[in-house]
Order: sequence, then structure tokens, then C-alpha cells
Amino acid sequence: MSRRLGFAVLGLLLVLRLLSALSGYDPVADLTPELRSAGPSASHWLGTDHLGRDVARRLLHGTAAFVEPGLLAALLTVGIGLAAGVLSGARGGVSGAAAAWLMGVVAAIPGLVLVLLGLSIYGGSADAAAGSSQIWWIAGFCGVICAPALSGAVTARLQALIRAEFVVAARAHGISPARILFYHLLWVNTRGLVLRHALRAFTQMVVLETTLSYLGGFGVPEPTPSWGNMLAFELGVVEGNPWAWLAPALAIWLGVVGIYGLSEATGEANVG
Amino acid sequence: MSAELLLEARSLRIEAPGRTLVHDASFGVRAGELVALVGHSGSGKSVTARALLGLLPFFPGRVAGEVWVDGQPCKTEADFARVRGARVALVPQDGRGGLDPLWRVGRTIREAARLAGVDEDPLPWLEAAGFSTPGPVATCFPHELSGGMAQRAAIAAALARKSAVLIADECTSGLDVSVQRTVLQRLRKLADDGGGVLLITHDLRLLPGFADRIVVMDEGRTVEEAPRLEALVGAGRVLVEATRQIAGGRW
Repeated sequence: MSRRLGFAVLGLLLVLRLLSALSGYDPVADLTPELRSAGPSASHWLGTDHLGRDVARRLLHGTAAFVEPGLLAALLTVGIGLAAGVLSGARGGVSGAAAAWLMGVVAAIPGLVLVLLGLSIYGGSADAAAGSSQIWWIAGFCGVICAPALSGAVTARLQALIRAEFVVAARAHGISPARILFYHLLWVNTRGLVLRHALRAFTQMVVLETTLSYLGGFGVPEPTPSWGNMLAFELGVVEGNPWAWLAPALAIWLGVVGIYGLSEATGEANVG
Repeated sequence: MSAELLLEARSLRIEAPGRTLVHDASFGVRAGELVALVGHSGSGKSVTARALLGLLPFFPGRVAGEVWVDGQPCKTEADFARVRGARVALVPQDGRGGLDPLWRVGRTIREAARLAGVDEDPLPWLEAAGFSTPGPVATCFPHELSGGMAQRAAIAAALARKSAVLIADECTSGLDVSVQRTVLQRLRKLADDGGGVLLITHDLRLLPGFADRIVVMDEGRTVEEAPRLEALVGAGRVLVEATRQIAGGRW
């Protein structure tokens, strides 16, 4: 059930992102002062926020704040975590110990602190122009902070499998160590685990963007829409349109629960 | 015997950290021959089998002495990599553990057949390993098979590899008597077709009628070699008598 729901949510997010890319949106032009905090109507399905901007359209275009950055974060997590996991789980030696140590150092620092520290050095501007590149920095840091969990999981999996009887049998059949490692151990026996952590990194990106936008100054700056800044922007408004903050809040909740559920349901199913 | 010596151990000595597992193992397997390597549990049979393929189950370890395959010494990892599978294959002791846990059985057999360059259909190999209805077995995952079925599936994969020498490490343990016989007949046929078989076992009851030669290992040494159980003396005779007592004198 969580698998189907997760796929549905992930699919929906990707479709929404595609629609937003195809439709185009100017966040500055989308301003109707006479329609501030209006309720849902035929022309504004979810009403407007307290500046008179269409909530549904902003919700749609807010997907840009995490879909591609989320994919980047997932890719980075897989790249870094897999490389470090293979080094420490299969190669060992000095390079393996160094990889495990490095992942340990990253894991020892609270993720949000590491991201804020990184953004204060490389990003951190609330300026809209700088904000477009800032989300990529957030994605980069998100990929890094999610990598140690994958690295540790891959290390443990490889250490458990590398002396397994089927590996001995495969070697005795003349299968090369490289094929055994990359195909049998990583692709056949570990890819579910990797996919699970990639989905977690994607989810983490949604949470991180929301958190940083909510904290102010570090997330996606206004007027560019993101679910995080929509929520932060409307929560304090007295007598506003409740859908202006309820819609992004529900979207964040559904997105995170759906994809996280998918990541939990992914992994150990038989593949052969 | 004048047949070509396919596999030979010469004064093999295997050391693990802090202890010597095999002190001196010397024997050979010729083309057309089924050699039984017998001995008590812990006498060093399985570790010798691994060393013959350059695959030690522990690290660090050290192997002294020589392994010869097709009249050529295997000294380096490259030498062993050249002969593994292509000339010498192994049926591991734990059949289920010897199959990729996330691959259907048929796929493991197909991969072995592909490496051997023969027909990749897994069904004939499963039949050869004693399955009368191999179709459903090919589509199972190893955990869906009983211990004995998994053991036979591992044998099928090793048969599909079409190596000149097959090392079968306790491959009949866990099988019922009729299936044991089927498997041994298949191994015997392999030898009769010109291959070599090294059958590692502690169950001497399996050997009459199948083994051409019996090599006895005791405390890490090959101590005796004879064509029949009746011809064994010393440690081999002790092993025979112990097995006879356990079997209630019925063999």
C-alpha cells in the first residue's frame, strides 16, 4: 500500500513539475492587490495569499524548488555514499579506513548545522538573484549529509556478503571479482538499499528547503515560490486565506510521507 | 594409471593466523577418475578444496606447496583466475548459500552456462542434477527451496560450467538416499565422460561402486590412498570401522 501511494505521490510531483516548466510563471507579475487573501474560486482554485497571488499556481511552481534539487541531492548521496561504502566495505585498507572516517566526521555533525554553516560560507543571501543558485547549494549539502547513512549501509551489506558462500561459488565459476562486486553484490544485492537512501535524500531535500525557508534567509527567497516560503509567508497573517498556508502544509506532508513511505517499502524485494 | 593428471596438490600446507590447518596434502585427480577425499570433520578437506582454487576462506592466510592444473603450476592469482571455472569448478558445501540469494535458480545456472559457452537453458542441467520436473525449480529463489533441492541446484550450476574437474564438497549431505545416488551417478558419468571429480565427503557409505580411488585425510595430512575401502589400513581403516559402527554394520 505504502509502495503504491509512494509511487503515486512521486509520479504526481514529477507531473506537477513538468506542468510548471511547460506553463511558465512570473512571480512578480502574479500580483492582484484587489484580491488579497481571497478564498477559493473558479479562477483561483485555492484562493490567493495576502499579496493577492494565486495559491494554486504558486503551489504548482513551488515544485521547482525541490524536484531538480532533490534529484541532485539523491544523485550526490548515491555517488558519495556508494563510493565510500565500496571503499570501506570491499576494498578496506587505508583508503577504506579514510572513507569510513570521513563519513563518520560528516555524520557526527548535525545535518542542519552543517547546511547552515555551508550556506553561511557559500550562500546565505536572501537576494532573489542569488537565491536561484542558493537552492543548488542546499541540494549539494543535502546530498552530503545523507551520504553517511548510505555509506554505512553499503559497508555493512558488503561486509556481510563478501565472504558469503555464493561469492566463493561465483569466484569458483570463474566470474571476475569486478563483476562479482559491481554486478552481483552491488547491482543485484544492494540496489534496493541504494534506491531507498536516494529516495530518503530526495525527501530530506523537501524537508530541508521547507525548514530553511521557514527559518528565513536561507531557503528560496521571495517572490520565487517554494512550499516552504509559502508556508512561512502566510502562517503569521491574521484573517488571511487559510488555504494559503494549509495547501503548502498539506502538500509538504503528503510529499514527505508518500516518498518516505516509498523509500521504506523499497529495497529487499526479490529481483531476479 | 597413465591418464592425464588434471589436478594435483603437491605437499600443500595451509596456514591461518596462529595455526596450521593443513600440514601436508598430496594427491591428484586424473581424467576419467572420481577421487574421494575422505576424513573426519575438521581434518582439512574443505580448506584444501578451496586452496586448490586459490580461494582461501580466511585472511590473512598462507598456502605453501604447489597446485598443478593440466600439468601447469598455479602460483599466482592470475594462474588461478585462468583455471577457475574454465578448468576446475566447485560445488560448495552449503548449497543454498552457494546460490545468489536474489537471483532465481535458473538465472544462476544460465550465467554458469554462458561462461562455459554452452546452451543457456537451465532445465537440462537441473535434470542432470536429479530434478524430474525442473521447470518450477528454475523459477524459484534459493530460499524457496529445501536444503536438498538447493544443494542439487548448486550442483546443476557447477555442471553447467562444464569444467574439466569438479570439486564436490560434501555435495550429497542433506540429500535423501535415492537423490544421493542420482547425484553420484551424475558425477560418475562426468568422470566416465573423461572429466575428473574430486568428491569430498565424510560419509564412506557413498563410495562403493562410485569412487576409483580413496584418499584419506587425517589431522591436516593425506595419510592413505587406496582403490577401495577394503584396502584401507591405519587411519583409513579406523574411519571405515567408525562409519560401519554408526551404520550398524549394514554396509
